[in-house]
Amino acid sequence: MRPRHGFVALAVATLALLGAGAAAGSNGGLTPIDPSSPNADRITGIYWFILGFTGFIFLVVEISLILFVVRYRRRGRPSDQEGPQIRGNTRLEYAWTLAPVLILAAIAAFVFYKLPGIKNVPAASAQGARIDVTVEAHRFYWEYRYSNGVVAVDALRAPVGVPVALTLVAPKDDVIHSWWIPAFGGKTDVIPGHTNHTWFQAEKTGTFRGQCAEFCGVQHAAMLASVQVLPAARFRAWLASEQKAQAKGDGRLGAETWAGACAKCHGQQAQGLVGPDLRGNSLLADRNGLETLIRNGRGEMPPVAETWKENQVTALFGYVKRTFAKASSGG
Amino acid sequence: MAVRAEPLLVPWYRGRVASWVTTTDHKRIGILYIATSLFFFGAGGILALLMRAQLATPNEKFLTRNSYDEVFTMHGTTMIFLVVVPILAGFGNYLVPLMIGARDVAFPRLNAFSYWMFLLGGIVLYSSWFSTGGAPKAGWTSYVPLSELTSGSGQDLWILSLHILTISSFAGAVNFLATIHNMRTRGMTWMRLPLFVWAIETYSILLVLVLPVLGAGLTLLLLDRQAGTHFFLPDKGGSALLYQHVFWFFGHPEVYIMVLPAMGIVSEVLPVFARKPIFGYAAIAFSTVGIAFFSMLVWAHHMFAVGLPWGLQSFFMISSMAVAIPTGVKIFNWLATIWRGNVSFATPMLFALGFIGVFTIGGLSGIFLAAFPFDWQVTDTYFVVAHLHYVLFGGSMFGIFAGLYYWWPKMFGRVLDERLGKASFWLMLVGFNVAFFPQHMLGLLGMPRRIYTYYHHGYWEAYNLTSTIGSGIMALGVLAFVVNVVVTSRVGRRAGNDPWLADTLEWYTTSPPPPHNFDRVPYVTSARPLRDLRRRLAEERA
Repeated sequence: MRPRHGFVALAVATLALLGAGAAAGSNGGLTPIDPSSPNADRITGIYWFILGFTGFIFLVVEISLILFVVRYRRRGRPSDQEGPQIRGNTRLEYAWTLAPVLILAAIAAFVFYKLPGIKNVPAASAQGARIDVTVEAHRFYWEYRYSNGVVAVDALRAPVGVPVALTLVAPKDDVIHSWWIPAFGGKTDVIPGHTNHTWFQAEKTGTFRGQCAEFCGVQHAAMLASVQVLPAARFRAWLASEQKAQAKGDGRLGAETWAGACAKCHGQQAQGLVGPDLRGNSLLADRNGLETLIRNGRGEMPPVAETWKENQVTALFGYVKRTFAKASSGG
Repeated sequence: MAVRAEPLLVPWYRGRVASWVTTTDHKRIGILYIATSLFFFGAGGILALLMRAQLATPNEKFLTRNSYDEVFTMHGTTMIFLVVVPILAGFGNYLVPLMIGARDVAFPRLNAFSYWMFLLGGIVLYSSWFSTGGAPKAGWTSYVPLSELTSGSGQDLWILSLHILTISSFAGAVNFLATIHNMRTRGMTWMRLPLFVWAIETYSILLVLVLPVLGAGLTLLLLDRQAGTHFFLPDKGGSALLYQHVFWFFGHPEVYIMVLPAMGIVSEVLPVFARKPIFGYAAIAFSTVGIAFFSMLVWAHHMFAVGLPWGLQSFFMISSMAVAIPTGVKIFNWLATIWRGNVSFATPMLFALGFIGVFTIGGLSGIFLAAFPFDWQVTDTYFVVAHLHYVLFGGSMFGIFAGLYYWWPKMFGRVLDERLGKASFWLMLVGFNVAFFPQHMLGLLGMPRRIYTYYHHGYWEAYNLTSTIGSGIMALGVLAFVVNVVVTSRVGRRAGNDPWLADTLEWYTTSPPPPHNFDRVPYVTSARPLRDLRRRLAEERA
């Protein structure tokens, strides 16, 4: 009898430790990353609900396994001595068929209960009306388009407390990517030829990180995304000033585009990485040549700029000229 | 002269090597399958260790990006198509005729053809390392459009290899079905069939149902790549999603193809070492069929993040959860089999018990993945990597090792060393959990699968390093098995016909059995013919 108590105590202690660890928060990966959006909150709720049941089943199975193994081990008995020849029990079979049915029905019901709050985008919140952003996934960067025409690359800016509806698309000749900021809920694949939707409503300011979650080729691991959540007023101010700056082919767009669309393969200093070294390359000083190349691609290089408006090409060219002109004239 | 001349030379096809090349004996073919699969298991394992080395620390430069992509693609393809499926075919080949009291499979030459196609498929796949552009690098799933846009011949060799393996498995499955349906010995009714044979029957039905679908998908992929069609290319009017439906219509039943026979092995091993009959024979047999049935209806749970209509997502959630019910039935029946038994811990039993303990975790994490809103959070992350390894290593491979230790004496006449066997089990059990449990946490922390490096320190680094250490411990466990095989082949204890006092017909004949298997097959009166014989002998003696 003693070993049985020992194992039960051990199992209970392990469970308590796990529970305490999990209760301490999302740290350590015992729960999904701290949710910071109502849909992510609800998904984490589903996680806890399922963990309750599966944790219970886990304990039932593992504890009975260990108990039976300890209790019914051979000890001094001859190895050919038979146990009782029990062939089954119909009632037990019904019981352990029906109990899981009920548990799974409960889980499914809970999922359906939470689902509307996860899939439906609120039209507005106390902080303001919903804003819409198109997310266009490319090998290997994210392009964001706000409804006023402002473009951003990899780093999305969003207001706190306001629902942000994302329309997810990819150019038809690209590959499948998957949009995922863990704190803002589940991932949504971005599939050429399909349009998908998701949303978030950031509960606090700060920077939230994620990355492409569908293998998309050689620089999949470098296809990072971030969302910088700003106070609503600051966001609106930024969006308005960025609109003016981008209309002039100015602002941060050039630098962002270089870092997102070019540098992942050619290096931040154009020193070459997956793609060739571009230092001293005459195309960097040839606006038309550069535009033809990036809009059409060449060999292994995808047509990174196929969907850009003219001002994004201008912004990139401006950045390239400012940054690499000195280097190439010196070299 | 009436004297018949004796040939001076043994004919060439009786030579030591040639006799294996020309054999149509199901036992030799089974051993060829198992040996070849174990060789590929070593290769796939080395690939896994390379990946774990690359991921041990952030910004690691051990492998290049391209090699990492090649390595994970080859690891997945190898383990699924060249290890788990064919090694189970190997067990099926060796055991099914013996267990049902037959002299061979229904079509011995087709059987040899299946094996040689398997070997050819493996060689074609591995030749891709030397082809233009190197090995395939679009993952074992080879999702389009990525797999259509990658240049080089690696992807084409991948398609060719899978086509060949598909033919091999299909022919093998037809052979199993014909054998089980037509060649059972007298008295071997369906409800007296060993549960492993039930599992192989179901495995074969699933293969026959889904392999043609894979073959069709592969053909369309090949046409797109080589003949200018555009079934899957969105920019020319094709559908990228269509490929995923086709692939997973095959791919999900494939999971059960890899798990059900391993479960069958566990159902054979547990009663022998608990000295009890299997608890709920009919429930286990029918739950095998039930799992296979549901497995055909769940494919799109691999696609919850692609934006399916809500009705479909709900349907696939419920059907996926339904698979858990027959799976649970099996686990509870196994537990009830040990209950009140006389349990001894020979290595096969340890692996079978390990299977129950570890597979349960994989089954339970599957319930999380079936709940589609939660699936959006963890799909394509290390949570899924953990889940599938709990099912396919903790499940299938533990079952396979149980089978190797259990039937080794029958195949080679010598019992594997118990001390090395136990060391191997404990190293694998501990190493496996250390390697894969933390990957659940990595997934919840946001680490996607198939990335060649990561930039986070802290928990990401800690869990990744732990996982790498665990993979090393697992490798030691596998090494202990290899040492065991090498050592035992010379000095192992002789097995005799029935070293474990088992229940099924394969233990009635000698170890190893003669080419014709049995001189005489006893009339079968229950699911445990050998136990019946032992009791009759004891009664006669008394």
